Order: sequence, then structure tokens, then C-alpha cells
Amino acid sequence: MPSSISSSEALVGVPDHAGESAPNRYARRTAADRPGVAQPVPERPVPAQPWGRILLGTVLLLALLVAGWEEYWRAYGVSPGNTNTYGLWAIQRRRIDAGEGNATVLAGASRLYFDVQLPVWERLDGRRPIQLSFEGTSPLTTVEDLAADANFTGRLVIAVEPDLFFSGYQYRAGAIRYAKKESPSQRVGQWLSMRLIEPYLAFDDPDYALESVLARQPWPQRPGLQSHTRVRKLAETEADRNTHLWSKLETDPQYREMARSIWRQDFEPSPDDPSPAEALKIEKEQIERMAKAVAQLGAHGVKVLFVRMPSNGEYLAFENREFPRARTWDALLASTRAPGIHFEDYRQLQGYYLPEWSHIAGSQAERFTAALYDIIRRDFWGPGASGSADKAQAAK
Amino acid sequence: MVFNSLTFVVFFACVLGLHSLPFSWTTKKINLLIASYLFYAAWNPPFVILLWVSTVVDWYAAQGLVKARRERTRHAWMLLSVIANLGMLGYFKYGQFLLDNFTSLMSAIGIAYHPAHYDIVLPVGISFYTFATMSYTLDVYLRRAAPAQNLLDYALFVTFFPHLVAGPIMRPTELVPQFAQPRRATGDQLRFGLALMTLGLFNKVVLADSLLSRVAERVYDSDKIPGALDAWAATLAFSGQIFCDFAGYSTTAIGAALCLGFAMPDNFRFPYAAVGFSDFWRRWHITLSSWLRDYLYIPLGGNRHGARRAYAALMATMLLGGLWHGANWTFVAWGGLHGLYLAVERALRARFANYRPSPLVFVLLGLLTYTLVNVTWVFFRAKTFGKAWVVLRGMAGQNAAAKPILATFSLISVAAVVGGLVLTHWLMRARTLESVVARTPAAAVCVVWALMAFAIIIAQGAGNAFIYFQF
Repeated sequence: MPSSISSSEALVGVPDHAGESAPNRYARRTAADRPGVAQPVPERPVPAQPWGRILLGTVLLLALLVAGWEEYWRAYGVSPGNTNTYGLWAIQRRRIDAGEGNATVLAGASRLYFDVQLPVWERLDGRRPIQLSFEGTSPLTTVEDLAADANFTGRLVIAVEPDLFFSGYQYRAGAIRYAKKESPSQRVGQWLSMRLIEPYLAFDDPDYALESVLARQPWPQRPGLQSHTRVRKLAETEADRNTHLWSKLETDPQYREMARSIWRQDFEPSPDDPSPAEALKIEKEQIERMAKAVAQLGAHGVKVLFVRMPSNGEYLAFENREFPRARTWDALLASTRAPGIHFEDYRQLQGYYLPEWSHIAGSQAERFTAALYDIIRRDFWGPGASGSADKAQAAK
Repeated sequence: MVFNSLTFVVFFACVLGLHSLPFSWTTKKINLLIASYLFYAAWNPPFVILLWVSTVVDWYAAQGLVKARRERTRHAWMLLSVIANLGMLGYFKYGQFLLDNFTSLMSAIGIAYHPAHYDIVLPVGISFYTFATMSYTLDVYLRRAAPAQNLLDYALFVTFFPHLVAGPIMRPTELVPQFAQPRRATGDQLRFGLALMTLGLFNKVVLADSLLSRVAERVYDSDKIPGALDAWAATLAFSGQIFCDFAGYSTTAIGAALCLGFAMPDNFRFPYAAVGFSDFWRRWHITLSSWLRDYLYIPLGGNRHGARRAYAALMATMLLGGLWHGANWTFVAWGGLHGLYLAVERALRARFANYRPSPLVFVLLGLLTYTLVNVTWVFFRAKTFGKAWVVLRGMAGQNAAAKPILATFSLISVAAVVGGLVLTHWLMRARTLESVVARTPAAAVCVVWALMAFAIIIAQGAGNAFIYFQF
């Protein structure tokens, strides 16, 4: 149809540059060059090339590159496993609202996540617990989320890993929001990834993503900026989030030393740290919020148990220095009036090999799980157990 | 669903498979329509209803326009379409914004107004498909186009999944005629379409998400005060990120459509090689800028009623264009700055009508344009004016308390990616991708394609949403 609009009616006149005639300025006309008219069907030419051969060559070269990359990481010691995504966490979280509201739930950071082996717990208890821990992340918001969920009426083990728990630090803060807003597309994507990608590709791990690999190359240090190496791969995860410390931490002294050096970065003061007064205020807030959540959980019949998971070496020294037991752990139990297990109070929870001072070696995690479960059953949740911290203390 | 997801890979394989089966053309179009609804429902199924509302309202409005004998009736049908579409957009996108501003205004004059809290979820891509459907009614109203012959073709025009949620914003005359005859991609179209999709996803997953987004986040989403190097690096990173993200989406969409045998228009023409802002807007998000020009700037008077009216129309268009991007005054400021730039350029062009810059000055003017575009990106990226001022002060070297924020790797990433991007735009500014590919040896095309695909795979993108989905 004809247009009543002049073709020179651009948004602001027609640009006119040195040596550029209009046809040269833009190689292909678009709606930008046709003001006020019905736009025609666009041009979409295909460049003259032997596209069949190009595609074949591309597929072959791509296959070679992917196979080489996979082989490289397998030679490094990596094997295929599930990726600890928010989608994987959401699958476990949904179990509570899908008929397993009376289950035992584990909420903590990486120590509870790596050190407790779900098959062992299931063998002893008869039911597999739901693992909702997240590495580098205070369990507080997970506990608050469970407290607000009337479907949850089971038992809750909350791990205390002092530097995360009392600072409120959350490396993986988005899981709850993700689980609540997860789209059908994301659910399908998670399902497909667990079946088509993760069981076959070892390099499918955030630690070996392109950006992670590039970022950890020995780039020159920028003056005035404190260097901070990101935490490397520490664990291997299964489909229901049963996780154990990666054996490389036990077998490769260099890798183990690197993991320790990464923790050491946090043992030194940083300009980003809160002031001592602010840190104390944060500690107090974390305890108050946890006490409120525990009270809410109690109101719908949930049994709560705190566990201070084992650490040793320089990590334990750091925790004792920055988060002394009397000020943190004892205050938490007093405030929440919930029972707790501190690994230092139980011989059965001591003497394990923690390659990088923070997590129990994968080869010993089953023994640790059995020991922890026995204590819980004997002193807290089993038939005849008092459920009271005082009585448990006396029974040791 | 997003293009950069495993779900889409499987979805698209199924769509391609279905489209190649020997069904009738009508059945194939119905398949595409159902697939497009599934594509949209994969975010939030109930919002498909909004698509239906938008489709049905404009279908009947256009029918009414054709049948109407009186000009007043035609006006009424056109207004029905505009009010229904903008009403929906206004409620979902600007409802909370308007309420917040009203509350602030009341508070400023001493009235404590406490409205009920509304948790309005923004339907993904609503700004894109409302503009597409409005262009249908408006083109019929302006007698630029005849209405679609049947509802199926029209519904498929609105819903066709490659352009549905983030453009390119299609006009009915660009797409509806393509549904009239059976279309199936030739072998070469399919292969080139896949190559375009790889290029688009490389831009998004590797360049935007893996190498640039975190750099911008570390400065724009933190409380730290940036110095000149950090502020510029973060802003340049965002300029690269938003181009690679959005142009990546458009290229993937064009490739996906081509794999099915359909042609979609260019949405970008190497914009960071623009010299001047009118040139920039003929290279950046072309389908939006031309939409705003055709349905807002020209109806407001355009260039036809003297300079003063043209400046007012220009500024109104750019302010509303800014607001289209998001319900925040920072977007309005972004649009306002572009309006100001365009106005100044217009005045300078009138004053120096015979000036022809030398090649060196031409390049310098291009770099000046890019620099000033970066200033506008600060308002686009910053969530608040406070943050925008902090970054702008940093860019001007005025943050005395600044300490280094970005590590060497981040600075190198920005220099390499954004430097490469701007250089590529200059080399390509008067070329098309197709013309360059046609002249490149086949072996080189093969290696580049495989390397891009490999980089996408090892980047392990987390399926991050495209930035423009929120608009």
C-alpha cells in the first residue's frame, strides 16, 4: 500500500558522513531505512559455501575438541557426577511437600553436606534423609523456609560451621527463591541434564568451566588488590545430593595443599570484614533469627538438633579464635533451647582424617555417619532418649 | 524457555523434526503455533492467556477497522487495540512503578498513603509482543497493510517462538506473507541457520555471560567505590555484555527462523561503529527504533512541523523509549540522554550542513559516539541514580576514596572482548555477515564454527536469562 509519509522522515534526518554514500553506509536495507511504510518480507540470503561439507567438518572437529577436553579432565582425576545446581536442591526440597514432610532433613553447609553419607543413614534408620545443605552457605534461610512450611513435621539436623553460621555468609543464597520460582523449562532442563549430560561428561563441573579455568591462570597481581583464589572442586555429588569429599584431596598432596592455602586466605583479616562490633551484632542477629525459626518449627512438632561438625588444624584454630565456643555455640543452644552435639564432646566424632582441616576424608565419611547416627539415636531421637542436652551430656 | 538451555535444544530438535514431516501446510502451521505456546508456557503457563487476549483483541480490532465505514468508528477500533495493549502493559509492567511514585508524591506533600502491596509478576516479553500486535492494528488503521487472511496466520505472527519474547519486533507485513505459502528450509538454509544460532549463542554464553557479566556486576552490584579504571572497565564490560546478549539473542532467533524456512530482519548493524547518534539508532535495536519512529515519532509530527516540534517529538519518543525498557527513572534518564544527543546532533548538522570530516576525524567522531553511548549505559545498568553518580564520578576520576576492585583477569577480559568487538564493528560497518562468510575459505568457516560451538559447550552456561527478557 502507498505511504503518505516521506521517505526522508528518519528519527533525526539522514546521517551523512564523509565519503559515505547512502548505499555504502548500510550494506543491507532494514526498517531503519524505510520510514513510515509497510515493511516488506526481509532478505535473508545464504552465503555461497559448501555448507554440507562445512557442517560435517564442524561436527568432526567439535567432536575431537570435546573428546580432548573430556580426556584432559579425566586424566586430572575427574569423573562424571551430578552438578550441585539449584535445580538439584529443588528436587530434594520438593520431597517435603510431596508426602515426605515427616522425613529427617539435613541443613548445614559443606561439612554436613560432605561428611554425612545418606546410604549409611538409611541403612541404620530405615529412611533416607533429605539433604538440603549447601556449601559455603549458612543454613539459616533454609531453616526459616522450613519453619514457614506447615508440611514439614519431621526431624531437622542443623549443622553449625562457625565461620558461616555466625556470620550469616551465603555463597549459594538463591536456592530457596529458585525452588519457589522454578519454571517448567528449568525443571525439564534439570531432568535432561541429569540424564543426558552429567552421567557422561566429567568436565561438566563449574570448576572446569571456561571462565573458571581462565580466571585461575597466573595473571599478574594488580597493585593494591588483595588476591583471592576461588574455592576449587572439593566433592563429588550424586543424584539425591549424597556427597563426599573428592578422593584427590587424599591422594594428591599438591591439590590438598592448594585447598588448605585457599582456606588460609580467610584466616587473615580482610578489608571487607565487618568491624568487631558489627561482627558481634551479626552473630547476635543470626542466633536470634535461628531461635525464632526453631520455636516455629517446634510449634509444628519438628524435632531440632544442632551439630557442630568436626574441623581441625589451622581451620579449628581460626574458628576457636574468631568464634569462641562460649560466645557462639553455647549461646546458640541457650537461646534456641534445642539440644546439640559438639564434636569435641564425643570421642566417636574425633580422630578422623580431614585432608584440608574442614571435611572428613571420603573414605572415612561412612564411619563418621554411623558414629553420628548412633549418638543421635542413643541420646536424642531414639526410643528412651531424653532429647535433652543436659541428659545427653550426662550420658556420655 | 531460553535459547541457551538444554530444554530448548530438545524442543527445537522436535520442532524441526515435526516441520520436516509430510504434513499439510496448515497442519505445519498449527504445529508451529502449539510449539510457540509451549515455548512461552515453559516460563509461566498462565501467562499464555495474555498472549491470547492480545491476539484476539487485535484480530477483531483489525477486522472492525476494515469493515468500518466511518472514520470515527475506525478511530474507536484503533483506540480499543491501543488501550487494551497498553493497558495490559501498563498494569503488569508499570503498575507498581506508578503506585510507588504516587506514594512518594503523596509523601512529599505530607500525605501518608500506604497502598496494599501488590506482587505483580512481569510476563516475560510482554513489551515485545504487545508492540508486535499493536503494529498490526496500526498498520491496518494507517492503511499501510491489509489484515491477515486468517486467524491462524495472524496468531502465528504474534506467537512465532523465535521472535516472541525478545524480538526482533516483527511487523505483520514482514511475517504474515511468509505464512501464505508452504515453506521449508533448504539444506543450505538449515545449515546456515544452525551456524547463525551458534554465533548468537557464542555471543550470549561465552562473551556476555562468561567473560563480561561478572565484571559489570562486581562494580555495579557492590557497595565499593570504583576508581577511573574500574568504573570504565565495568561500563565497557556492560556495553559489550548488553550487545552480545541482545544481538546474540537476535542472531539466534534469526537462525532458528531460517532453519524453519522463514526470514527475520536484522536487528543490529554493528552499532559500536556508529558515527553520530542517528547512525547509532539505525544500527542498534533497529526493530524497536523503527517501531518508535513509525508509530510514535512520525504521528507526533516528526520532521514535518518545524524544528521546535521535531525536537519535542524526538525527546518524547526517546523518553518513552527509555521507559519501554523498564519501570525505573534510570531508564527514562537513559532515553533522555539519547534524546539530548540526537537533538544536539540535529542542531549541529543544521549548523554545519556542508562539513565533511576527514577520515581521521570521522574515526574520532565514531569513538566519541561510543564514549557517549557508554555514559548512557551507566544509567541503564545502575539500579539507582545514586549508584549511577558513583560510577560516573569514578569514570571522571573523581572518587578519591576508590580502591581497586577488579582483578587483572577481569581487566584483560574487558580489553580483549570489548576491544575486539569495537574493532570488528568498524571492520564490518559497511558489510554484512553473509558477504564476509561468502568470501571466507570454507575450511576457516568450519574451524571458526567448531571453535565457537566448543567454547559454548565448555563455558557451561547456567541458562541465564537474556537481559531483554525483563523488558
